Amino acid sequence: MASEDEVNLLVIVVDVNPIWWGQQAQREPEFTLSKCLDGVMVMGNSHMALTRTNKLAVIASHCQDSHFLYPSKSLGGGGGAAEDTSSSRDGKYELLAVANSAIAEEIRNVLSKTEVRGNSTDTLLAGSLAKALCYIYRVSKELDVGQEIKSRILVIKAAEDCALQYMNFMNVIFAAQKQNILIDACVLDSDSGLLQQACDITGGLYLKIPQKLALTQYLLWVFLPDSEQRSQLVLPPPAHVDYRAACFCHRNLIEIGYVCSVCLSIFCNFSPICTTCETAFKIQLPQMVKPKKKKLKMPA
Amino acid sequence: MASLSEEVLLVVKKVRQRKQDGTLYLMAERIAWGPEGKDRFTVSHPYSDIRCQKISPDGKAKVQLQLVLHTGESTTFHFANESTALKDREAAKELLQQLLPKFKKKANKELEEKNRMLQEDPVLFQLYKDLVVSQVISAEEFWANRLGGLNNSEPAPYSNKQEVGISGAFLADIRPQTDGCNGLRYNLTTDIIESIFRTYPAVKQKYSENVPHSLTEKEFWTRFFQSHYFHRDRINTGTQDIFSECAKQDEKGLMSLVNKGVKNPLVDLLSLEDKTLDEGYGIKQALPSTSNTNKTVKESSNAAIIKRFNHHSAMVLAAGSRKNEVTADQASETSSTDGNSRDSDFFQPPVKKVKLQEAIEYEDLQRESKQKTVALNLKKSDRYAHGPVPLQSQKYTTSQDIINAVNCIQHEMAHYKPNLTQVREKNNNTFLPSTEMVPSDIQGELKHLYVAAGELLRHFWSCFPVNTSFLEDKLTGHLEEMLQTAYSKFHIWQTRRMMRKT
Repeated sequence: MASEDEVNLLVIVVDVNPIWWGQQAQREPEFTLSKCLDGVMVMGNSHMALTRTNKLAVIASHCQDSHFLYPSKSLGGGGGAAEDTSSSRDGKYELLAVANSAIAEEIRNVLSKTEVRGNSTDTLLAGSLAKALCYIYRVSKELDVGQEIKSRILVIKAAEDCALQYMNFMNVIFAAQKQNILIDACVLDSDSGLLQQACDITGGLYLKIPQKLALTQYLLWVFLPDSEQRSQLVLPPPAHVDYRAACFCHRNLIEIGYVCSVCLSIFCNFSPICTTCETAFKIQLPQMVKPKKKKLKMPA
Repeated sequence: MASLSEEVLLVVKKVRQRKQDGTLYLMAERIAWGPEGKDRFTVSHPYSDIRCQKISPDGKAKVQLQLVLHTGESTTFHFANESTALKDREAAKELLQQLLPKFKKKANKELEEKNRMLQEDPVLFQLYKDLVVSQVISAEEFWANRLGGLNNSEPAPYSNKQEVGISGAFLADIRPQTDGCNGLRYNLTTDIIESIFRTYPAVKQKYSENVPHSLTEKEFWTRFFQSHYFHRDRINTGTQDIFSECAKQDEKGLMSLVNKGVKNPLVDLLSLEDKTLDEGYGIKQALPSTSNTNKTVKESSNAAIIKRFNHHSAMVLAAGSRKNEVTADQASETSSTDGNSRDSDFFQPPVKKVKLQEAIEYEDLQRESKQKTVALNLKKSDRYAHGPVPLQSQKYTTSQDIINAVNCIQHEMAHYKPNLTQVREKNNNTFLPSTEMVPSDIQGELKHLYVAAGELLRHFWSCFPVNTSFLEDKLTGHLEEMLQTAYSKFHIWQTRRMMRKT
């Protein structure tokens, strides 16, 4: 049993790529961003309701930036009057009410400020993960003496992978591994190799949901229990991760290749000069053995 | 055993050793002692083993001679012949003094070196005691690493001792004592004499000239102390003193030293002048020059004392830095009568540069010599941006699509209100099987089975803790049977259901 002093921090990173969600709304009107956010809120509330020392943070990952939905900056100051009325009407646990209203208000703000740009249509997922790591670090520093913290990140991914974020992504993954932070991934649409690697390396769970409508149920069943309890549950088996690298010249997946010792770039064929760093490799050619001339015996 | 072929050089009768009477024999190669009446020698030492001999002081009643061996042991002989004890001992001592130096072997030098090393370094001595004496390591192994330099021509590094310098107060240490009747008694030891010679080579020169030809040593020193040269005032009265020349030489030396000056560019001696403001308070006035002849007597005596002190200090320093060159260069020493030319020779133009350089540079602030590295030269660094990730076909979205999508989502989310009670859809497309999917009769059967199993389990758990044999019997016999039947019942039902499905 977790001790009372142990703080459990869950950071949910929601992919709110407006282009994908807009298209999704046109494809399947039953499951839109509203439904997704409802499911996220339910999970957040459940997490906070489990133990008093549980903490929650929600980050919205947009094409332009990453935004903290909860805890939000406007929590302390204005909007106090509106919150009071809503909470008193409901009779709900105040913390949950505050969280829900904050998330709703913030997402409205974020999406209303969306500017349409053609060149950046990818979700800035690596940046959001980095923000999540920083937040976790900050919270762990602000703890009281004697409190321990266990934290994990849940990524709800909608749009496709962006290959340009590879370096940042890998950095984030290894940083999380060093800090013992789990990264779970709940993928709505298309498989993501980067997230598969992230979950494999940090020890989290990767799941591609078969039915988007049942998002809430998956979240509560698979992703709500923390790492200690997961060993006692029957959960979906881990996906097989394809760790094959792609060569730098053709971008094909290869199993055996050549690696430059200077710049570590991967090639499928041997070439005496590395095209990335222009290092010349000296390789000893096999020595030519001169065939011995056989002496013909002269007939006596 | 005494071999008859040995040549016996001296026989001394009535010599006691360890309270036994006997006879002492000095042979060509060894010294031996045998007790009275016996034929054999109980004590026999070859001369090469003997390090030194010691005799008891003259005033003592017992006349003794002690032999100290290289190993540290000592043997004492007591000359007991009443009449000739002293003579015997002196004869033995003289003979030993002649014989011992002949037999000093080089091998003993090694032993001596070892002893010296052990004595000098207490840590080494302790180590030696711990390891060799208690026979952990043999003595050869112990010394194998340490005596490297002895057999070579170069001296061992430990034997370089620092030269003992000259005490600046050696003249003051002489301390004359009153003789009782108006005379003074000076005690001169060889150390003091050596100091005087080293410091004042002119005196040494005079000594070598006059002694022992015209003056005895005693007379020389008497004159030395009587001369004005030694005394404070040193005013050259022109007497026919052998030391007046020394005074002149010293003067010359001092003048040349002053002219040479100090070659260190960072030392400015002239700035050390006393500047007093008491007369005139800074207004320029003609200062009385020291070379003026009509100066007061007090000033001139002060100047003389100060000059004397300066000269003395300079000579002491020069003598200290001359080191071993004194014995080697007799000729050059006598030619350089000012005595300090050797010292000022050290400061030459290259030294000046070195001094300046030392003052300017600090070793710590120098740039560290780093290893030369080759810079990484990336031509196609954008390859790292995507990394070893395979190309994926991107969905093509037109800009119109993008605009539409964004508008749509903005419109939707503008009125977003969380509706958490409606999260679970109540239709058949959901993942988890809802209650409608299972027909009611199967549900009923399953419920019955479930309840029965629960009841059995309740029986099972109530048997614990097993206190009585009745409970034990119930557990092992009865209950197990019941559980088996229940399980088989369920199994049958399950297969029936599955067969029905298919």
